[in-house]
Amino acid sequence: MDPFESIKQTFFQECDELLTDAEQGLLAMESGEADDETINAVFRAVHSVKGGAGAFGLEDLIRFAHVFETVMDEIRSGKMELTDEVAKTLLRAFDVLADHVAAARDGGKVEEGRSQGAYGELRGLIGGEEEDDDAMGGGDEDFGFVPLTLSIEGEDAPGGFIDLDAQNAEAGVELPAPDQAPQDELASWTVEFSPKSEMYAKANEAGLVLRELARLGETRVTLIDETLPPLDQLSAEQAYVSWRIQLFTDSDEASIREVFEFVEDDCNLIITRDGAEPSVAAPTDDGLSDDDRAAADSANADLDIAALLARVGGGDAPAEAAPEIVAEAPPEAPAEDVAALIARAQSVAPPPAAKAPTPAPTPPPVAAAAPAAAAAPAAAAANAAPAAAASVTIRVDLDRVDRLINAVGELVIQQAMLSQRVLESGLARSSNVALGLEDLELLTREIQDSVMAIRAQPVKSVFQRMPRLAREVADMTGKRVKLVMEGEGTEVDKTVIERLADPITHMLRNAIDHGLEDPEGRAEAGKPAEGVVRLRALHRGGRIVIELQDDGRGINRPRVRGIAVARGLITEDQVLSDEEIDNLIFLPGFSTAEVISDISGRGVGMDVVRRSIQGLGGRISISSEPGKGSKFTMSLPLTLAVLDGMVVTAAEQTLVAPLSAIVESLTPRTEDVHYIGGKDAVIRIRDTFVPLIDVGVALGFRETAIDPASGVAVLVESEGGGKAALLVEAIQGQRQVVIKSLEANYQQIDGVAAATILGDGRVALILDVDALVTTQRRKPAARPSEKRMAS
Amino acid sequence: MSTDTATTADRATVSLAPVLDLQAAEPLRAELMALRGRPLDLDASQVTRMGGLCLQVLMSARKIWSEDGVCLTVDQPSLAFSEQLAAFGGPELQSEPEGELS
Repeated sequence: MDPFESIKQTFFQECDELLTDAEQGLLAMESGEADDETINAVFRAVHSVKGGAGAFGLEDLIRFAHVFETVMDEIRSGKMELTDEVAKTLLRAFDVLADHVAAARDGGKVEEGRSQGAYGELRGLIGGEEEDDDAMGGGDEDFGFVPLTLSIEGEDAPGGFIDLDAQNAEAGVELPAPDQAPQDELASWTVEFSPKSEMYAKANEAGLVLRELARLGETRVTLIDETLPPLDQLSAEQAYVSWRIQLFTDSDEASIREVFEFVEDDCNLIITRDGAEPSVAAPTDDGLSDDDRAAADSANADLDIAALLARVGGGDAPAEAAPEIVAEAPPEAPAEDVAALIARAQSVAPPPAAKAPTPAPTPPPVAAAAPAAAAAPAAAAANAAPAAAASVTIRVDLDRVDRLINAVGELVIQQAMLSQRVLESGLARSSNVALGLEDLELLTREIQDSVMAIRAQPVKSVFQRMPRLAREVADMTGKRVKLVMEGEGTEVDKTVIERLADPITHMLRNAIDHGLEDPEGRAEAGKPAEGVVRLRALHRGGRIVIELQDDGRGINRPRVRGIAVARGLITEDQVLSDEEIDNLIFLPGFSTAEVISDISGRGVGMDVVRRSIQGLGGRISISSEPGKGSKFTMSLPLTLAVLDGMVVTAAEQTLVAPLSAIVESLTPRTEDVHYIGGKDAVIRIRDTFVPLIDVGVALGFRETAIDPASGVAVLVESEGGGKAALLVEAIQGQRQVVIKSLEANYQQIDGVAAATILGDGRVALILDVDALVTTQRRKPAARPSEKRMAS
Repeated sequence: MSTDTATTADRATVSLAPVLDLQAAEPLRAELMALRGRPLDLDASQVTRMGGLCLQVLMSARKIWSEDGVCLTVDQPSLAFSEQLAAFGGPELQSEPEGELS
């Protein structure tokens, strides 16, 4: 792939995460649960999106993100009050921001009116005039990868060959050009920047930070590598080197600090103004609030120690020993350090309760500086290790994970085949080879579990989109709704998560649009005006279950039935159970909405939902109580890759029944099997009767059922809780199988969920237990002919 | 592995991957370690992005090559590589012990 495209893709991946974070923060702001850090996090997320957009010249996105960011900046600095109206405006605008990102990624364009409307709303909040493009700070202005002018010999030589000796003759590289001496009126700042390992782990780059800093003015960069070990002792993902940058700029400290905005928690940073007077610790236009300045002023004396410690930790000591040093060590400027520390502490700590300046912020800087102080060069590596262990994450391309999963899937198959061959060779089960294979099987299982865990993610990413949707739909329909969500931390495979969003969205819209009554209707029914919709995720029996329950009017069965008859979906005299009537809404083309609305009811909704759930190997069912509401239950496999199954034989075919559906297995006795109406076989299991389904007949492998007494009945439980017994000839054993999609490789078959490859290399079909049970109800299998007379 | 290795006599050449980011750091370290003791040319012509971690690996390699008294050179650096190196403060990446240069 084109490297530029690759970087761009990474940017959009990051955008997804940033937008998710921002949305979460905005929701917290709307519900009044946001603290300063939440607001800062939203600001940073939007700022990052703008920054990346600038690098790729995505003008529309930059423009919109900029005004959004400005509003967030006003809020976090306390200049704008976070009212309910502001929060709602931000949430609306966030949708547009997300659309701008999507448009930039997919090459589309956001509807002009919508974008302008949201833009105008945001500008209205700031109350400012339209800024010109330069002032927006977008594009290359702030973030672009502008080529740096370098004093490198052979720079313009063909082939881009550069004499590194010349380049490295002096360690300090002057930007933009050495012959441009710092102007007298520019202030000189010294920035000491020591990344921590976490900074790199979060895919932040020191290089980008240094480049951004260089945009503020002329820089002289000195790299400090005192703690860098030789290669044989180097841990590649640990941060060792730090930088001291002398910066000549007319920017204030806040602007300099802003460059480090996204990495400030993951680096040691000290910014000092060279030769500054203590009294200019906080310039009036530095972006610090009055509180910040007041606290800084009062805390000057108290915090000198902290400042000193921070300076030591920030790399002063090694810098003085470093041979490459270019800039002279700046004079001590404790007040600046204090201001810097305070400003930083303020950004993470709640604001002081009272206006009166107090040395309250003292503990955070000291606490932050103390470990840094211990980080003398000799001990730096040792200190960095526990820090790195705290939260190390890496960003891995999904393709790589998929390749790993496929490889492990093949490993499972190979291992099964090897076991089978050993068995066939006649080796005793207690032989060393067989025992070794058992260990191998355990190990394979462990590897498989670990690999699957890599892809597991909480359903939160889908759930958190729902509150906004609920509000929007409620607004459009004039209904009042409270969405209660539970189990957002429930984990499921990423591929499943990605495909959950659409069905849940559909169902939620339906629940509000069709399920809930309007406030008047609810009042008449004696219910509170505000309807409640519950969205819940949980693990059950090796599957993930998503429930969506409303307390609305429930399904109007006579009406549903009437519509189904009118549309020719059922005949007028067809006898249907309540459950079957409820399930009519999943039929293609069924829509109960008399007026097709924008929200739902295009006649595709629930049909599409069911198909997409089935496409995931899942099932959906509905239970409804008139006047009290409906509950949709979706049950999905936790992963689409592996399955624990019971291998059975039916009609000389080897089949796999998902273990999660199996309750027990038994050998039927002839006297326990009965035929209702002379054809529907049922089997008595303890004190209940359940349908007995001959799998060979149900799947069309043979015409007539076998004698139940000659086979084995596998009692299964369907997702709706109904039980049935599957009649097969024999059970071969339990095995973990790798799922191979039938749809992708062949086509969908009723009663078959997928296929797998067995140890002997043959393909075996995996039964769709629910479909078998449902089909059986509608189309009973013929009973064995020889038994017809006997019963 | 994002880099490949070609050997001429005892001298080895490592083509640096286009993107030298977090993910590339450990593979690069491992690849370089495997070539310790041999004169090495780093072909930087394909590099479009270099991050701090890979910079550390290269600087660290330079240390050990220097200690071993073996030659380590950077060939054909791309403009992006050179710019990024300069932005990092232009650290020395080459080790050229006396008498080693051909």
